[in-house]
Amino acid sequence: MDGDQGAAEDEPPSLLWGLDPVFSAYARLYVKDILQMRESRQVPGIYFYKSHPLFQVDVLGTVVYRRERDDFYCYGVDDSTGVINCLCWKDEKWRDHGDLAKDAARGPAGGGFNVEEQLRKLREAQRSSSVLEIGDLLQVRGSLKTSREQREIMTSSFYKVNDPVMSVQISRMLEMPQLYRDCYDKPFLIPSSELSASSTDNDRPSSFQSVLSQSVHILKEFLKEKEVTRFRPYDVEYLLHPLIQQPGSNTSTEQEPGSVRSMIPAQIRNLLKETLKILQVEGEIFRKVLSQDEVYNVTEHDKDLLAAICDILREDCKREKYAEKGCHVLHILSSVRQRYSRNLSREALDVALKFLECNSDIISTTDAHYTVL
Amino acid sequence: MLPAAAVFHFPWEISSDLVKDGASIRTFGRLTNYLPEESKAVLTSHHASVQYQVSIQTTFVEPFDPIIGAQYIVLGEIEKSEGEGEAIVHARVFNCVDGVDVALLQKAVNEQRKFFRERNDEAGAR
Repeated sequence: MDGDQGAAEDEPPSLLWGLDPVFSAYARLYVKDILQMRESRQVPGIYFYKSHPLFQVDVLGTVVYRRERDDFYCYGVDDSTGVINCLCWKDEKWRDHGDLAKDAARGPAGGGFNVEEQLRKLREAQRSSSVLEIGDLLQVRGSLKTSREQREIMTSSFYKVNDPVMSVQISRMLEMPQLYRDCYDKPFLIPSSELSASSTDNDRPSSFQSVLSQSVHILKEFLKEKEVTRFRPYDVEYLLHPLIQQPGSNTSTEQEPGSVRSMIPAQIRNLLKETLKILQVEGEIFRKVLSQDEVYNVTEHDKDLLAAICDILREDCKREKYAEKGCHVLHILSSVRQRYSRNLSREALDVALKFLECNSDIISTTDAHYTVL
Repeated sequence: MLPAAAVFHFPWEISSDLVKDGASIRTFGRLTNYLPEESKAVLTSHHASVQYQVSIQTTFVEPFDPIIGAQYIVLGEIEKSEGEGEAIVHARVFNCVDGVDVALLQKAVNEQRKFFRERNDEAGAR
C-alpha cells in the first residue's frame, strides 16, 4: 500500500517539517489512509501521508460503535473507507446532572429575557451535541495516537452533526478527492532556499551571500549602537575583518604569506562595497553630495534631514491644498531634494519618515500621506 | 471490537456478485414496506427504468419510526442465502434522510470510487 511505498523513501529532517503547511493543519484524510499511514522513525506521534508529516486529523463519519467510560466516550467512526476509534473527553461541567435537573425544575421565569435561562439552554444544547448514539454523524478533530497496536484519535473538538438530508456528507465526499489531488497527493518539496542555506556551511563559493548578510548586519548594528551620523568607508572597514580573515587563515598555510595579505584587503573592499550598496538600496544610508570624498550619511541620525522634513511638513500642511490629508510622499521627496540634498533616495526618505513617525513627530494619514501633529 | 467499514453500494449492485456475503455495506432507497412482526423492511429504488428492492432486517435498530415513502439510508451486513437470489441487509444503522438529493449522492459516490480507482491504478503502475 501507499504507506509501505513511503517507508522506502527517507523522511525529511524533522527541522523542516514545519515548512509543510499540512503539518500545522487538521488533515482531512480518509480513515483508511489514517489507519495505514506510517509513523515517523524520528518522532513518535508524527505520521506520514506520502511525504507529508502530520499529527492532527479531521474526520467526519457515522458512529458505529460506542462505549462509555467514567471520563470519556469512545466512538467508532465509519467514513465508508474505514473505522477508527475516537476518544472524546467528557466535560467537567456536565458531570453533575443533579445541578442541571434542579435548574430545569425551576422552569422559565415569567416573561422577559432571562440570561440564566438562556445559558442553561445553551449548556443543554452543547451537552446534547456531545453525547451521540449509534447512527449519528460525528465530526472530530484531534491528534493521532497509537496505543496497543491500535490507531485512535484523541479528540480536541467533537460534535454531533445534524445532517437530515446528507448535504454535509455529500459535500465532503465531493470535496475530498479534490483535496487529495490538490494537496495531500502532491509531494512536499522543501524550498530550495532552505536546502542551500543548510549547505552553505561547507560550500565555499556560495557562502559570499551569507558573509554579505552578516556584514550588513554588523554594519547596521554598529551604526545604531554608536549613533553614527556620517562616515567614510575606511572608518568602518575594520569591522569586516573578522568575516574575511577566518577562511583566509586556513589557506594562508598553503599560500605565500605575501599574496594572502594583498588578497584580503581586496576582498574586504569588495565586501564593503557590496554592503554599502545594500544599505543604500534599503535607505539606511545615503550620500548627501556625490563627490570624490565618499561620505555616507546615516538616514536615521541625520538631524538636518529630519529637521528639514519636519519643516516642510509644518509649512505645507498649513496650505489649504494639504490641510486635510497632509502631504504626499512624492511631494515631500521633491521638497527635500530642493531644500536639502538632490541625491536623497525615495528609500532613504521612507526610512526617515518611518523614524519620525515612530518618534511621534509626524503621523501618516494614509499609506502615502503625512502630516505634522 | 470495531466493525468493518461499511462501503457505499447502490441498491442495484446489492444482488450482483460485486457484493459478497457478509460484507458491510451502506445503501439507500424509499421505504415502501415495513412488517413490524417480522422486523422486515423493504427499500425500493429506480435505476435505468428498472425497479430494485432491497430487503432489510431491522431487529437491531428497533424501535424506529417508520415513514412509508421516505428515503432511508441503511448501514449493515449483507446475508446472501444460497440458492435463492435474495439478499438481506442486517441493519445496524437505519436513518431517515428524506429530502436527500439522490442524484448528487450518486455523483459523490462515483467521484469517491473514481478517486480510489485512479489511485490503485497509479500504485499498480509503479
